[in-house]
Amino acid sequence: MEPGSLRHRLQRIAHAARQILYGMTTYEWAQSAKRERAEVERLFVLLSFGDLVGVPILPPYYTLRLLPYVVPALNRWKRSLLRERDWTDLAEFIEGID
Amino acid sequence: MNSILVLLIAAAALIVGYGVYARRIDRNVIQPDGKKATPAKMYMDGVDFTPASRNVLFGYQFKSIAALGPITGPIIAVQWGWFPAMLWIILGTFFIGWVQDYGAMMMGVRRDGDSLGALSYKLVSPRARTILMIFLYFYLLLIMGSFGNAVGKTLMTNPKVPLGMFTVVLMGILAGQMTYKWKKDIILTTVVTVVLTFVGIWLSTTKPVAAFFNGLYGLPESPKWFLGNTRAQVIGTLLVVIFCYLGSVMPIWSFAQPINYISFWIVSLGILGGILGMIIWRPGMGDFPAFTKFTTASGPLWPMLFVTIACGAISGWHSLVSTSGTARQLEAETDALPVGGGAMFLEMIFATVAFLTATAAFGGFQGYQDAGGAGKALAVFSGGLANFLSHIGIPKEFGTAYGSVFLTIMALTIMQLCVRFMRVASAELAGEKFPAMKNIHIGTIVALLLTLVFVWVIPWLTIWSAFGAANQLMAGLALMLIALWAMSEGRKHTWALYPAAFMIVTTIAALLYLAYTNFAKLSSPDITTQAAIAAVLVGLIAVVLVVAAAFLVYDGWKALRKPQPKKAPAKA
Repeated sequence: MEPGSLRHRLQRIAHAARQILYGMTTYEWAQSAKRERAEVERLFVLLSFGDLVGVPILPPYYTLRLLPYVVPALNRWKRSLLRERDWTDLAEFIEGID
Repeated sequence: MNSILVLLIAAAALIVGYGVYARRIDRNVIQPDGKKATPAKMYMDGVDFTPASRNVLFGYQFKSIAALGPITGPIIAVQWGWFPAMLWIILGTFFIGWVQDYGAMMMGVRRDGDSLGALSYKLVSPRARTILMIFLYFYLLLIMGSFGNAVGKTLMTNPKVPLGMFTVVLMGILAGQMTYKWKKDIILTTVVTVVLTFVGIWLSTTKPVAAFFNGLYGLPESPKWFLGNTRAQVIGTLLVVIFCYLGSVMPIWSFAQPINYISFWIVSLGILGGILGMIIWRPGMGDFPAFTKFTTASGPLWPMLFVTIACGAISGWHSLVSTSGTARQLEAETDALPVGGGAMFLEMIFATVAFLTATAAFGGFQGYQDAGGAGKALAVFSGGLANFLSHIGIPKEFGTAYGSVFLTIMALTIMQLCVRFMRVASAELAGEKFPAMKNIHIGTIVALLLTLVFVWVIPWLTIWSAFGAANQLMAGLALMLIALWAMSEGRKHTWALYPAAFMIVTTIAALLYLAYTNFAKLSSPDITTQAAIAAVLVGLIAVVLVVAAAFLVYDGWKALRKPQPKKAPAKA
């Protein structure tokens, strides 16, 4: 299909409309599912690698055995765990407030 | 004036405002760089910081900002006449509304995805964040009071509404189960639950159901029960409270979220149908006056009109969503204008449609007054929507019930999340001193008891004005932050500073007016205990908000006078 053709343009419009609808409807569900998974992951990494942030929970032997599996997530985990939060961070959970 | 002409004027404002003014500020002042890494990419954590397509974010942003505010505000504001209300919707969005939404979003993007609290800490002063938090709690309380009043004391007292509302709740729970537990397809879930909801709304218009609720409420003359509220109002409010309690304590996937989802379809279909009916009908405003009088039941045109129409022209809440939510998900800096600015301009159209339900759907001013006027804005909207829907073949009786249910559920979905927010906030604020506040049930009950006091005691128009003033004051403060941020980058900042000054002065004037009029009521010899409590509550809140704003403005002024960095280099 040629990029400038009418059919191509219509397809692009339909694609954009689908995305907008997704943003208005189930995007929030997907975000919430991701958030729940992330919270479980965060807890798991805290239990197994707590000594990285000064909370030693698991003996280092087990930590070292788990290390190869958790390395890709470590940076992300530390950033999300140590990020300063306040109430205004909760605003995203309240949609359409006004 | 014809309704289609009003829509065309709003569309023209959208084209010029977005296409010329907003683009000019975006291109020449902010100079977004599409290749620069955004916080969503730099700090990607797969949850809060995740890049998403601008179309998806546009939908998300619009849904997050457009709810009951753009509907209620314009309907109340037409009591000053249609011209000032329409002018403020259009000019407010054109010069101020989009500036705030877009500016807050860009500020978040350029400041590593910081929330508004963190930004006020860094750009204004450490105490600015604390003040903002206190401010926010009062603001949420006012939302609960005003929405609870509108729903519990007006909409739910209509015997054709409660069954529709129960149906939406049940269908929401069913949608949650079908999606998460039974792993059913979302399209099937949507079709089943939305169709059943419509069946429920239709059933609520049948005689046996109406007779049941008439009996329960003691209608047609519902007796006074408590604090001057009728039996229907007390039962309606308690139903709202029960709903909010469940929304606050139940897992979000099983209650709040799927109910939100169902309500999205109910609301969108209603609005689309209403617009279609209006286009087919093309009603005029008849004898609706362009200007009625300077001082109405809500107070003088300035400053009260500018706080009565909040969302739909400018709303402080948007700055919170733009910074904490959307700014952390922008794929490229160049997406901020279509997402932040675009969603705000679209909301202006939404507010214009609500404005037309009051001015055009009843054939004139008398029709608007008969439908309830400013005192029953939501009843006006449901009646107006029913008139529009009748032109696409939907019976008026069903249309009115539908409009009422959709407004009810729209308000309730917000209220349940507000209570959730309030219980988290109170746990953080008072949890150390009073450990019981960390219990989700106690935090929720405290928030709901405060809500009940506001709903049962304070009159609707007063609490709406207080809510609008708090909202607009937050907008002024957000605009001040945007100006400070632009200044800190060495960019022009008057495009945000002048709107900030206008909003802060106007809203402080509105709050002082509210404080004065409420405290003045106390000197009346005929005042009842209930009215005195209401006057003291509103007066005190207005004073607290003014003091908080004074501190923030003082700190902001000091920050503004700090030496400015060199000008940002022009884009190559």
